[in-house]
Amino acid sequence: MIEYYTFKHRGADEEYRDEVFLRLVPNLTVAIFNGSKLDSPKSQALLFSEILSSDEGSKGIDYLNGVFDECLDEESEYLILRVESKGIESIRRGSVCAKIVRYGQISLLPNGYFGLSSDDRIVCATSNFFKYLNDEGILADALVAGTCDDWMNMMVRRISDQTQLKCGNLSAVTLKLNS
Amino acid sequence: MYDFSLLTDETVRAIIIGLILFAVAFVSFVVVALFTLFKTNIYTTRHKEKINLFCDVAYFHEKGKREDQEDSIYISPMDKLEHTGLVAACSDGMGGLLNGEVVSKFVTDSLREHYPYQFDAQADNAAIITDISNQVYEQYHLGAGATLVMVHILDDYMNFYSLGDSNIILIRNNRATLLNQKQNYVTLMIRKLAEGGLDTTDAYKDSRAKGLIDFVGNLNCKVQMTTRPLRLIENDIIIVSSDGVTDSMPLNRIVNHIHFDQNATGIARTIKYGVRSRKNPRQDNYSAVVIKMKRSFI
Repeated sequence: MIEYYTFKHRGADEEYRDEVFLRLVPNLTVAIFNGSKLDSPKSQALLFSEILSSDEGSKGIDYLNGVFDECLDEESEYLILRVESKGIESIRRGSVCAKIVRYGQISLLPNGYFGLSSDDRIVCATSNFFKYLNDEGILADALVAGTCDDWMNMMVRRISDQTQLKCGNLSAVTLKLNS
Repeated sequence: MYDFSLLTDETVRAIIIGLILFAVAFVSFVVVALFTLFKTNIYTTRHKEKINLFCDVAYFHEKGKREDQEDSIYISPMDKLEHTGLVAACSDGMGGLLNGEVVSKFVTDSLREHYPYQFDAQADNAAIITDISNQVYEQYHLGAGATLVMVHILDDYMNFYSLGDSNIILIRNNRATLLNQKQNYVTLMIRKLAEGGLDTTDAYKDSRAKGLIDFVGNLNCKVQMTTRPLRLIENDIIIVSSDGVTDSMPLNRIVNHIHFDQNATGIARTIKYGVRSRKNPRQDNYSAVVIKMKRSFI
């Protein structure tokens, strides 16, 4: 069973320029788009969502990456994660990334296929979200939290302690694989 | 050319035998040394990871400007370290309530009574803490309470438990991180404001913000605990402390003060004098257990 929780916050900016996309069938696909470097982020975010929700969205990650390369502005940053039966496939462009908590340690999720074991926890987020967190804090919260929303709330608390959430757009998804 | 003709045959024989014995001893030494190095493989990182870490432990327990010492600490027996791990705890009697010193001492005494703890039985250990809390509740009915932070380290792993707003700090790679989350109203307010898409400035302005939502002395308290242990690495420094330490010495200041070649005693001493040097006229009691993770080939 997969549990997830998404967090989107304007961070006191005028508009929310990122996009978090979830697709549940045929496999869980999580995608985060970061438009902070773009002049017209809204249209690019819409395009991003449109492609993912189309038939092409269910195709292989490499194929999907090719479509995004073709259609999106080259300054667009995104991360796509697809949970397969025994692993996770991911591809990222730019500074959006995912971190995995396993065996009491935290590491960056690499591009490509990565085998998963039960109780692995993953957080994917924009660089602005990770900017106010360090690995030890993310790790401690992951090990303490019983659920994905608990974990997210703990990380948000850490960001809030430094910025009162007036730090620009924040976008993140936490994922937990239950045995 | 040397002329050995002046030496008697017996002397030459003795010299040759001596040289042969020396050569045999030297070769044996080299073989044994190489075998030991090969067997323990000291120079590889892989082997380094196989050798468990051990805890270098020190503490300080100081009275601030308060009338009573309301902090209490507990460190499990060091001779049992290898089998049951190290348990270190700090309890801080809640200010504004009566009998803070009695409750904090009761908490650490009760922890000592329950020793040893099962490392992988986090829920059971948390239940013990909840039970202690319930006993305090039965006695004082919210009229007294204390915070509690506790770490349990076995080999290269650590579990931690927390109730209230004391600190478990991890210093790794020159960076200090508060591992436990403070259980105060700010947490609830931030959650509410963040869910509403608002900034959280108001949460910190609120006069109730620092009020605890859970503590030892609360009925059926919810202990914050790791469900899986955290992996420790060499030179990690763990500080289990009351808030009297961090009120005067914020995390970044602690990191700036200590040196990474210091042992636990040196670090504890540096922090203690760091707090004292602030000469805070309202200095709370300040206590901490400092643990430095070291690796030994012996």
